[in-house]
This record gives sequence, structure tokens and C-alpha cells, in this order.
Amino acid sequence: MSDPSALMVTRREALLRLTSTAVAAAAVGTGIAVFHDRRTVSASAATIPDWRVPLPGAGSAAAARGGEPTANVRRAVAAMGGMDRFIRKGDTVLVKPNVGWDRLPEQAANTDPQVVAEIVRLCRAAGARRVVVTDISCNDPRRCFARSGIEAAATAAGAEVIEARRLRLLAAALPGLSAGLEVIEELLRADRVINVPVVKHHSLSHVTLGMKNWLGVLGKGRNRLHQDINRALAELGATFRPTLTVVDATRVLAANGPVGGSLADVLPVGAVLAATDPVLADAWGASLLGHKPADLGFIAEAERRGVGRADVRLVKELGMA
Amino acid sequence: MRWTIRIRVFYQAFFLVALLWLLARLASGDARDLPFSAFHHGDPLSAIGVTLGSGTLPGALVWAAVLIALTLLVGRAFCGWVCPLGTLQQLSSWLFSPRTRRESLQVNRYRRWYAIKYYVLAGLLVGALAGTLQTGLLDPLSLTARGLASGLWPVLPGGRPAPGGWLAALLLLAILVASRWIPRVFCRGFCPLGALLGVFGRFAVFRIHRTGDACTSCKLCAFACQGADEPLGSHRVGECMVCLNCLPGCPEEAMTYRALPPLPVSPDRPDLSRRYLFGTVLGSLAVAPLLRATGGGREAARPRLLRPPGSLGEAEFLQRCVKCSLCQQACPTSAIHSAIGQAGVEGFWTPVVVPRRGWCEFACTRCGEVCPTGAIGRLTPARKTGYDGRPPVSIGTAFVDRGRCLPWAMGTPCIVCEEMCPTDPKAIWFENADEAGRDGAARKLQRPRVDAAKCVGCGICENKCPVGEEAAIRVTSVGETRDPLNRLLAGGLQQ
Repeated sequence: MSDPSALMVTRREALLRLTSTAVAAAAVGTGIAVFHDRRTVSASAATIPDWRVPLPGAGSAAAARGGEPTANVRRAVAAMGGMDRFIRKGDTVLVKPNVGWDRLPEQAANTDPQVVAEIVRLCRAAGARRVVVTDISCNDPRRCFARSGIEAAATAAGAEVIEARRLRLLAAALPGLSAGLEVIEELLRADRVINVPVVKHHSLSHVTLGMKNWLGVLGKGRNRLHQDINRALAELGATFRPTLTVVDATRVLAANGPVGGSLADVLPVGAVLAATDPVLADAWGASLLGHKPADLGFIAEAERRGVGRADVRLVKELGMA
Repeated sequence: MRWTIRIRVFYQAFFLVALLWLLARLASGDARDLPFSAFHHGDPLSAIGVTLGSGTLPGALVWAAVLIALTLLVGRAFCGWVCPLGTLQQLSSWLFSPRTRRESLQVNRYRRWYAIKYYVLAGLLVGALAGTLQTGLLDPLSLTARGLASGLWPVLPGGRPAPGGWLAALLLLAILVASRWIPRVFCRGFCPLGALLGVFGRFAVFRIHRTGDACTSCKLCAFACQGADEPLGSHRVGECMVCLNCLPGCPEEAMTYRALPPLPVSPDRPDLSRRYLFGTVLGSLAVAPLLRATGGGREAARPRLLRPPGSLGEAEFLQRCVKCSLCQQACPTSAIHSAIGQAGVEGFWTPVVVPRRGWCEFACTRCGEVCPTGAIGRLTPARKTGYDGRPPVSIGTAFVDRGRCLPWAMGTPCIVCEEMCPTDPKAIWFENADEAGRDGAARKLQRPRVDAAKCVGCGICENKCPVGEEAAIRVTSVGETRDPLNRLLAGGLQQ
């Protein structure tokens, strides 16, 4: 490439080429070494913070029906005292919807994107500095976040959407059956956490709701929890104590859960519940599918452990919009 | 650097970056309809090989005609200006340039063994005619994409392991290292695509021309000659890669590149021995049946040979697959890997689904969209999932290993396979059982059963099964839509 009538490649030129390539290769290699598999190896397992906000005298759950999903979210949260009571200015809020499946919103396998987006907007309006929406999906995370509509809706509402490929996992102090599993690092860093499950049928626990939704913050090995699901869910409920649980019952998957597929299995319920009591939230959701909460092992077990109350009469029903 | 050289380097950089960018977009799951398989669509080796092998020319491969026409006009410019493997080799040989002028002339001299590529080409095309398409093994576009997809991407941040990928990477790396001693050793000596373009390039309108009067035979033109085509002597037009290094090389400005009248005598044929060529043809004719009879080819039962969804039947598949790895790069769950032994010798480096590595995402049709030759057919999500009312596309059937399954063997509840099952209704259902445990206490258990009529073999059950290394539910190829003879149920699924 150089002018061939000039001198041949000199020692200087050869050194220059080789050195620049070596430097470039070393830079790339270092980059790979630094960024590849960015899991931090921490000696001690992180403890799970308590994200609850003490609110003496407040009700523990409120349900709104009949309106648009966004209106339902606003009414239910307002009935709990408004997002300002839960979120301080400058907080980092983690919103944990169910984005487990490569399904469309109509198929009701994931949390409704409008519900997620409205929660994000309320958090931002309450002064949250950063709202993170994340989940460790069961299907391909990129497809789950895209096709569920949650990535687009939450991003437009001002959230930072992080799918599983970009998450870091940390060892955490988890009890009982989930001991030894890893947890999303963003969760441990958040000041406030809002759990946003969707009401669905499940073949083992009969329904999948808020406490089951915590499987989505756990890493490899979470599939072992099904071996004693009632105990596992009660333990998770006692470990992860969210600021708020917002149950999405806009559409309810009544059969073939938790993946679904057929629109024939989807009931248009059109309700949203906001709760500070995660057991009450799950009890209310279970009742929508015709279960008596006390009959469901994980709810009974969680109540026995004092995680919350399962008496759906405690839910403040706001009626139709 | 003269302007002609600058333009050439610009082109080379552009096409190399384009290939890398497309592969990167593919790996990151870019949903846009980018021309991911454009390089392969314009590949005459694939086009002719697939046509000879399968008797049809799959649609987009007609672009290869453009490259042939271009070669008839300007010579093997593809090799010198476009081919990413050529560019990488040139880069490697530039890095380790010879130290003396004598050495430089030495390494850029024509050698008789550079004719090997024509035997390679003949062997591959005759093999295709005999029914086994192996052009992808040495096609530079496949070779490069495969080496990068299997060897480079897995080590990048966020990359997912590709067992066996080192084999593909090693071939690419060996070529680049060998270029240190012989510039463009693969192009000159072995490349079947280069040989094919050489066959047409011999008749190029635009050629290198030496004005005899001005030439002082100083040999400076051969100094950086990429094709080793000896512009000084009787120029080997079929070897010339139109790098144009000889133009600025000539101190007397005796070299030009321009449209020339056809050569008065028929252009030099490559240095081929008729005997060797005859032997090559005969040998290749024998290879296809040999591979099938002794290499464990398509007739053998291969339970773990799961082909990507929409794949053609095995015989047609092997007549079309050019082993380019684009499907592997496109797969969002890393389910697709290059076969080492799963598909017999004939199917070496063809794509297989490995459920323990990744599952076939139910509504995803990415692999078929990027397949350049239609070995994996294009599906719509509605067709693949069966939401259009016809039976879904199946790639196999799941079988429960009752000796390993927690509810079946250990009396322990577990429903993960059923939970993950994407079909509607779920192909995995439960047999409810009351079972006495070791302590004599009765327990209720849900034992998973597979409804073969509903199972599509996607393998998410196998992938997510909590039973360690070897899952307690595994997919084998029986029941795959693509093979009417590999059915499980009487009547079976109608495609």
C-alpha cells in the first residue's frame, strides 16, 4: 500500500504497526475481561431491605373497577392516600411487573402495559428521581419486553426499562428454600419497590399473584422453588416487603396459565387494586378467580407467618368508575 | 497512496464494517428488516451449488447473477474490493509485511499450487450435483460469518457460549495467521468462490494492461500484487483481484487498468492437469454416497437432530444449507448451534436446536427470515404457532424421563415443564396421583404427561427443567413437521 519504490518496511514501521495492533488488541481484551459476565463476586450476601412505609391508621387495600386501566390505578392509589405518601423526592423506585412471557397484552400473560405506565407516571409526579422497570423473563427477555408493550409504555412514561440481559445479580441473604439464589442488584439498591403482578391461573399454586411475582427477581435455580411452592411463596412474601402491591386485574387469565395464549381463557374483569398488605392483595386477586383465599396453601401459610391478613372484607371497594 | 488505492481501501473497510455491523444487529435482536443475508444472496457459489444440488434456484440468490455480470465486466474485483475474508487476510499480511524487497517479490509470485482452488471448486460443485452440498465449508462468506458467529460473539460481553464454536473460529484464525507468510493464501490457493469468479474473470472487459515500450522489467509492479497474477509477464487475468497495487508501483507508468478488446487468443486456462481434474470429479461423485453410507448421513435415526422451525426435510435441507450461521446468530435464545456430530459428516456445521442451551421461542420466526437459501423456510408467527387454524409447526416431541422426573421418581412436587409450555392448550398435562411416601404418609402429586398431538418440540420444558445437567424431560425429533416419515402418531399432524 505504501509507495513501493520507496524503502521497504523499516524496523520502525514494522514496530509501529505491531505495537499499534498489540495496543488495540490489549484494549479490546481488557475491555472484554472487564465487561464479560459482569457479576460481582461479593463475599457476604446482601440483606433484603424493608421497603414498607409506616402509615398508621391507613387502610391496607383499595380496589377500583370499571374505568380505563390508568383511571383504575389512579383511583386505587389515591384511595390509599396518594403516591406522595409512599414516594419521597429523589427516590429510586423499582417497579416489578410480570413480564415473563412472549405474549401480547390481550393474552393477559403479562401485566397490562397501561397499568405499569400509570404507576411510573405517578412515581415521577411524586418526585421519584429514577423509576426502574425490570423482570427476569421466562421467555426471551427482548421479545417479552417488546411484545408485552411494557418496554414502550414504561419508557414513554419516564421509566428506565432494564431487561434481564442487562441486569446484574447479587448473592442475597434469602431464607429457607430460596437460600443461595441470586437477586437483581437494582432491587437491593432501590429506595422503594412496587410489585405489580397480574392475576393468572397457575397449575400448582392455583393462582399466581404478588408473592409468586418475586420469582422474577431471582436468578438461576428459582425453578426448584416449585417443589414446595406454598412454603416458598410464604417465605418470599416474608422476605420481600414492598412499599405497595398493585394487582392488575384488567384482564384475568383464567385457564392454561401462567402462559395462556388463547383469548377464550381471558376474562375482562377491568379492576385494579392497590395494597400495602401483600397477603390481602393476593387474597383479593385469588377471589377474582373464584377461590376462597383460606383454601390456597401459600396464602394460608403467609397469613400464619404474619406477613399479612387474607380477609378480603378489609379491601376498600371503590365501586365502578 | 494513490487515489485508486484509497478508494479500494475505502470499499474494503466499508464491506468489512457492513458485515460486522449486520452480524452485530442480528445478535442484538434488531427487529428491523435489515439486509442480513445480502452478502450471501449475491454469492454465485451458493447460487450455483444450491441449483446443482436441489434443482432449484431459491429466489434471492438471483442476485448472484449481478456479481457474475460485474466480474465479466471488471474482473475479480469482488475478491479485492468486497470480500471480508480477503480484507481480513490483507490486513494480516500488511501487519507482518516482508522486510526486504526480495522477500516481497518472492511471496507475491505465482505458484503452481494456487490452482488447487479450481480443484476445490470442481469437487464441491460435482459433489452438489451428486447430492451433497458442501460449498459452505469453504465459501469465504459462510466461513467468515461462521467464524465470527461461533468464535467471536460468544466471547463478547453478554455473549452466550457456543460449544464447538472454536472449530469454526480456528479455521478462520488459521487462514489469517497463514496470511502472514503467504498474503491472501486462502484466496490464492483454496477459495472456491474466488476460483468460480476466476472462471468468469478471465473474460473481463476491464483488465490490467502493460505498455511494453515503457516497461523496464523492474518488477516493481509485482511488489504488492494481491492476486500473485504476475502483471509483469503474461498477466493471469483470472487470478487478478483488481487491487490495482501495480499501477502506482510502476515508476515508468507503464501499467493501466482500462477496457481492452478481447484477447486475440483464448485466455490462458488455469494450470489444471486434466488427469487431476478427472480424478477430482470422480472422487467427488463417490463422496456423496460414501458420506451417506458410512458417515451416518440422513438415513440414520438421529433423535437429537432437531432442525430449526420451518426447515425443509433433511434431504432438501442438506441440498440448500450453506452453513453460514446466520440462523445461529439470529436465534434470540441461543438455541441454534453448529452441528459437530449430530447431523452426520454430511451435516457438519449445519444448524441444530440444542434445547438445553436454548429453546425455540414459540412465536419467533427469526431463523427462517435470515436464511439466505430457504433451507429454513420463512414462517409467519400465526403459521408457526398454529393460530391460523392449522396444526402448529413442530420440530420434535418431548418425552418425560420418569426415572429422573421429581414427581415421578422422587415424590417431590414440580410443575415447571407444564408452567413453561407455550401451546394452547398446554401439551403437558398432569396425572393426579396419591402416593405413599417413605414414611407411609399419603401425598398428592401432579405427574407431568405429554400430549404428543399438542407438543411442538420447542424444548422450553427441557431447558427450564430443574433437574441438573440432564433434564428429566427431553425433546427428540420424532413428530417433526418437516418429515412425514418421522411421525409418532397414526394420522399424525398434517402440515
